[in-house]
Amino acid sequence: MRLSAPAGLSRAVLAPLRAVVLLAVVSVAVFAATELLPGDAADAVGAGRASAAQLAGLRAERGLDRPGWERWASWASALLHGDAGRSLLTGRPVVDVIGGRLPATAVLAGSAFALTAPLVLLGCVLAGRRALRRPGDAGGGLATALTAVPQVVVAAALAALLSGVLRWVPPVSLLPPGGGPPDPSILVLPVLTLALPSAAFGVALLGGVVADALRRPYVTDALVRGVPAGRVLRRHVLPVLAAPALRVLAVVVGGLAAGGALVETVFGYAGAGELLVSSVAARDTPVVQLLGLGSATAVLAVLLLADLVPVRS
Amino acid sequence: MTAHEGAHEGLRADRVRVTGPSGRVVLDGPGVHAAPGRVLALTGPSGSGKTTLLRALLGCLPPGLRRTAGAVRWRGRPVPTGRAGRRWRLTQVGWLAQDPASTLDPWRSVLDQVAEALTDRGATGTAARAGAAALLERLGLDPALHARTPGRLSGGQAQRAALARALAGDPPLLVLDEPTSGLDPDSAGLAAEAVRRRRGDPSRVTVLVSHDLRLVEDLADDVTQIGAVAPPPVPATAPRPAGTPAVLTVRGLVLDHPAGGPPLLTADLTVHAGELVALLGPSGSGKSTLLRALAGLHPPAAGTMVLSAAGTTGPLPHLASERGHAQLRRVQLVGQNPRDELNPAHRAVTAVARPLRTLAGLGRAPARARALRLLADLGVDAEHAERRPGRLSGGQRQRVAVARAVAPGAAVLLADEITSALDAATATRLLDVLDRLRADGLAVLLSTHDPGVAARADRVLRLSAGALHEQDVSAHP
Amino acid sequence: MNRVSLAFAFVVVAVTLLGPALAPYDPAAPVTAPWQASSVGHPLGGDVLGRDVLSRLLAGGRRLLVLSLVAAAAATLVGTLGGLAAGWGGSRVLAAGADLLLAVPVLLPALVLAVSLPGDAAVVAATVVAGAPLTLGVVRDATAGARERGYVRAARLRGERTLAVLLREVLPAVAGVPAADLGLRFVTALQLASALAVLGLTDAPATGDWAAMLRENLAGAALNPAALAAPALLLAMLSLSVAAAAHAGLRHAFGTGDAS
Repeated sequence: MRLSAPAGLSRAVLAPLRAVVLLAVVSVAVFAATELLPGDAADAVGAGRASAAQLAGLRAERGLDRPGWERWASWASALLHGDAGRSLLTGRPVVDVIGGRLPATAVLAGSAFALTAPLVLLGCVLAGRRALRRPGDAGGGLATALTAVPQVVVAAALAALLSGVLRWVPPVSLLPPGGGPPDPSILVLPVLTLALPSAAFGVALLGGVVADALRRPYVTDALVRGVPAGRVLRRHVLPVLAAPALRVLAVVVGGLAAGGALVETVFGYAGAGELLVSSVAARDTPVVQLLGLGSATAVLAVLLLADLVPVRS
Repeated sequence: MTAHEGAHEGLRADRVRVTGPSGRVVLDGPGVHAAPGRVLALTGPSGSGKTTLLRALLGCLPPGLRRTAGAVRWRGRPVPTGRAGRRWRLTQVGWLAQDPASTLDPWRSVLDQVAEALTDRGATGTAARAGAAALLERLGLDPALHARTPGRLSGGQAQRAALARALAGDPPLLVLDEPTSGLDPDSAGLAAEAVRRRRGDPSRVTVLVSHDLRLVEDLADDVTQIGAVAPPPVPATAPRPAGTPAVLTVRGLVLDHPAGGPPLLTADLTVHAGELVALLGPSGSGKSTLLRALAGLHPPAAGTMVLSAAGTTGPLPHLASERGHAQLRRVQLVGQNPRDELNPAHRAVTAVARPLRTLAGLGRAPARARALRLLADLGVDAEHAERRPGRLSGGQRQRVAVARAVAPGAAVLLADEITSALDAATATRLLDVLDRLRADGLAVLLSTHDPGVAARADRVLRLSAGALHEQDVSAHP
Repeated sequence: MNRVSLAFAFVVVAVTLLGPALAPYDPAAPVTAPWQASSVGHPLGGDVLGRDVLSRLLAGGRRLLVLSLVAAAAATLVGTLGGLAAGWGGSRVLAAGADLLLAVPVLLPALVLAVSLPGDAAVVAATVVAGAPLTLGVVRDATAGARERGYVRAARLRGERTLAVLLREVLPAVAGVPAADLGLRFVTALQLASALAVLGLTDAPATGDWAAMLRENLAGAALNPAALAAPALLLAMLSLSVAAAAHAGLRHAFGTGDAS
């Protein structure tokens, strides 16, 4: 952990700076993708019924006739003041619309993460054992292969097995209409569908790092000298893994965010992911913008943590 | 045999056989006996399995390898395995691996690491730290350096820290793997001193592996040879042309150091038609950079080059991009790594025909025909000429690379360690190829670190401390 | 392993392209009871509307496959050209945002793009936006490695122009990298295309679409599991085989440096 002061200081300053710059880049990308491409909000609201003059009026009213960077700047500054605009569909503030969906998504993502983390840990232990027994073997093939399977296939396979054949759980995960905690059985399918691909991704990335750490000369030499395996792991291997593990965590968070959209929609679970997909279908741009930016921010936050930890490569 | 008698045995092994995963015999070792108070040296050529034998003696072979014959006994008892074996190595064995600096944890202070080894061999708390500090200091590491991590020490200092860890607690069995090739001279001297101290002490046994015959003679009481002894290659004598005209004349060439500071080297040299000039010098002295500069791939800070070859006589621009086709075709370079020299996607004949088209202006068919003829001259038959480099041997690839360089009519061939990746017999054949080309007037400037290769040269230039020195001027008055 | 997976991928692609001609029934017309279990005439049974699952399976791959191939080819082309330029110029472009690109799954940008683009265009755009930088990275590394090789030096010593060196020496030498990478981009595009189809954001043809079949037949999992399992299995096997071949290709391209 000993770190020279200037390196530590510059890391503490540079990493947040880099995160802020990346966040700005992401916001530009999100804004550009949703606002500047053909087919703007006026088309969506007018829905083909409005005349050209009405559309022009609508554009002027919403400021769509101004240059792109100006619209981005006013959008971003409003966001910074906590104003994300109103849903084009319902007219309610976007923040409220999304806020209403967050608890359900938090339950789902939290449960999925609680399953993903031990699975990744297990996969890494197996990868480590393999690396010690077969030093020339790259390993990680199974996990890497599994990351190729589309998540919709995982959803379909799990639904076919658990709901279709075994009839253990309902095929759709409808939340109780009055709110309140959901029945655990409806979480089984979405949680498994989210967690299994995320865990495979995590193992594919981290397992290789573990195997590399175990093949470093000071680790193999410590084993030759007879240093107990537990001490080798504690002193030489685990400290190396901190930064990569946080990067993998960022990947898992991203996977849960994107997977959530798919899984919630497929299983009819009314969370923020389902909101994202239905808003995309309805071209409810402000909601999509905030959800997209929010997911990217979550990933960036974890990456920032990883940047703050000294890299031992 | 009682335990007391066993103590006089030291480390003893019958003929040790080690097999790999597929049952292939990796090592059929000799009997080994390291007696108390004595130093045993294991010697043999590289690849003869010295390190594997050491690991077999310590009972910790790399994964996949197994000892299938030959019992190893320490003080009369079999060397323990499993958990007991780890404990035995931890408390009784001091081990110094090849490249010892890399075996230090780069993130912990060297004092911590030496103190940890002392703790494992019975010291406690503050005594361990004090002992570690004393040991490091005895090996010439100033106390101010003890808290540093290995990365913040010089290479030699880190090696000494690793040596201190091996010597910590004066272990009953000390095992050193190639202590001179991995260590700088000072550290090697300290290691030798530590081994010498153990001689004569009946409670201490020392085993070292080395191919350094001087060290073995100096330190070892007993020597065990592993593998067969290869006779040194006999250098062939080269034809020595006399009084040929100069083709490349270089005056006042200055090459800057990439990191700044004083120049890397300054050089004046002349290469005559048909001669083989060897360029010797330690690694890092700038042999490759000099050759690259002559080829126009590395801009020199100053100097003039003059080329006198058929069709082009006059000053040679510094950069290849400024040289005309007539000049490019006369000065060509071949590098050392046979894997890199040829494009994996192109057939040998295509590679050789290409410069014939671009530099010698031949059409597709004549270029191909001449490339095939040249390759055949250099010992690459038509069948191999149609292959891609992945299906050619290292020697064949280098011959193709030489053919590609000389094909458009080279007058000077700059050969950068072209034999270093080849075995002795293949290297000799490649040099024979060069001799054949030299008979037609090709001048070769060949950098090498192999005295056997240099012995075939007409002249030897030695590069040291940034200057070129003629080693044997008598060949060319 | 590599050969087997490649062969499997080719069979799937061939069947997919020829599939519509082989379908025994009209894939758009109901011919059985909804979710009828498999029978002699309908080996895979019927789907949600009683259409023959086998016929829909044979007809339903083409759109997905062509879309994924187009998206992957676009991403690899953009990434390869960028990677050649970046590797030759020694540029470290994109290093700052690489971990973000790795961490954000391609589905998120695809969804955001789907607000203003049609679903298929969003698949292509997102595959290029998220995939081309990854291609660029590996091609750049391979190009930077090739730059110092003897054959590139030899080309410079015979006075070849930079473009000729890049296209004649570097590109053939590193060609294994973009070729293998094309496989990985294809897998990503396939995942994306099937996700957007399942989410109902692309217009599935009436003749069927493997991914849309998953969604249509989810509720009938108990009545006719084959209607769900068959397209799932095909998608999974196709992705797995292409990814395995691609990984093997990348290992080969970076491992030995020899492409004989």
